[in-house]
Amino acid sequence: MSQHINRLLPLLLLATVLALASVLASAHHSFSAEFDINKPIELRGKVIKVELINPHSWIHIEVTNKQGLKETWMVEGGSPNALFRHGITKNSIPLGAELVVIGYQARDGGNRAVGRTLKLANGQSLFFYPSPLPTGVQ
Amino acid sequence: MIVNRATSLRLVATSLLLLAAVDTVGAAEQYKAPRTSWGDPLIEGVYTNNTNVPFERPAKLGDKAFYTEQEYAARKNAPAVVETTTNPTDVHYQTADFDLDPEQNPMVRNPRTSILTQPANGRMPPLRADAQRRSDAARAAQQAHAFDSAQNRPLQERCLLWAHEGPPLRPVGYNTLVQLAQTRGYVVLMTEMIHDARVIPLAKSRPDFGGLKRWQGNSWGRWEGDTLVIETTGFSDQVTPRGSGVPMGPEGKVIEKITRTGPKSIRYEFTVSDPSLWDVPWGGEFPMELTDQPLFEYACHEGNYGLPNTLRGIRKEEQTSSRKPR
Repeated sequence: MSQHINRLLPLLLLATVLALASVLASAHHSFSAEFDINKPIELRGKVIKVELINPHSWIHIEVTNKQGLKETWMVEGGSPNALFRHGITKNSIPLGAELVVIGYQARDGGNRAVGRTLKLANGQSLFFYPSPLPTGVQ
Repeated sequence: MIVNRATSLRLVATSLLLLAAVDTVGAAEQYKAPRTSWGDPLIEGVYTNNTNVPFERPAKLGDKAFYTEQEYAARKNAPAVVETTTNPTDVHYQTADFDLDPEQNPMVRNPRTSILTQPANGRMPPLRADAQRRSDAARAAQQAHAFDSAQNRPLQERCLLWAHEGPPLRPVGYNTLVQLAQTRGYVVLMTEMIHDARVIPLAKSRPDFGGLKRWQGNSWGRWEGDTLVIETTGFSDQVTPRGSGVPMGPEGKVIEKITRTGPKSIRYEFTVSDPSLWDVPWGGEFPMELTDQPLFEYACHEGNYGLPNTLRGIRKEEQTSSRKPR
């Protein structure tokens, strides 16, 4: 326990300092405690479920691994409320759409990841940054 | 429907122009607030406090409390780099992907260089020496057992309370809406994130609250002219004021003032004092603007996969380390 605590202490301290020192908190929990910076991943798969929920959105995709087997991954993103204000709902992301996720895997090695970038197969960002969904993909 | 980026930017620009037409600083004195049917100043509505003004002033600005118009124009669309933008090496999603950066949405005009206005340098006063020692010890103890259980995780991560809800209320990076509701004898202040509704009785002196104690203290209010003055005392040891790491003492107090400054604007002021923590009080102010948007649900606990995921990861690492799990 103390081994990983020692490793996490600087990150935890940073997260605590940021949470206390910054009026504009960026997330509701420490992502560095949930995901492993030493496990970068790139996933390509089809959307099978969309959860635009708080405190964080989760998009489920079906990925074919190197052995040719299908596995399901959950990808974590941000609070969806601002998306709702622009009319984006879970139905805005079509099931079956191909998604490319670059991010980091969960610390426990499970099929969960945080999406640093979430892009459609054509290279466009899923939501807002740096560009919206193309016309017709709604 | 997906709003394209150009449309979003036009909406933001239009809104900024509209908001720029309302200067909340000093406007309250010229504005006479409309009244409720029972005669109180009317403050209810859904407001946003979206801003990129930092809580503490950058040290290099010293006592400079306001930007010039030119400086403000140059800065108002600048990303709030320190507070919100995620670092490329962070293990974090990009907030802009989800339209969560302040500059992606209409910001309330505020030419101040910091939310904090007291002390004059716009920076938090230091803790008293004894309070700092208690703070250091509390943080060390917390960090040593930070991942032992869900109960050891921060209140925010447990979906119990976000620090910006206050009192004092503070601007937050996203989901910035605040709803004020009025009835005869009560004012309710509710934040979208994490849907905390603070019911504030109006009285001539502090009510006894029937023995009930809120973690964030018990608030009561009174009208002083057109300003609602809210006094909060009796904070629990579950919450710690900003940057302190230790709870308020029995003399800890927060005073908030809400004043309608225009047809669509209010000014929120706050002062925090506790002689067990600081030698001087600290406080500040920020404007809020009415919005036609409703508060959206923020059902945090139901979707909080992050908390069990975090603890699951730690337990897994314990199994693969040479150390005995807790």
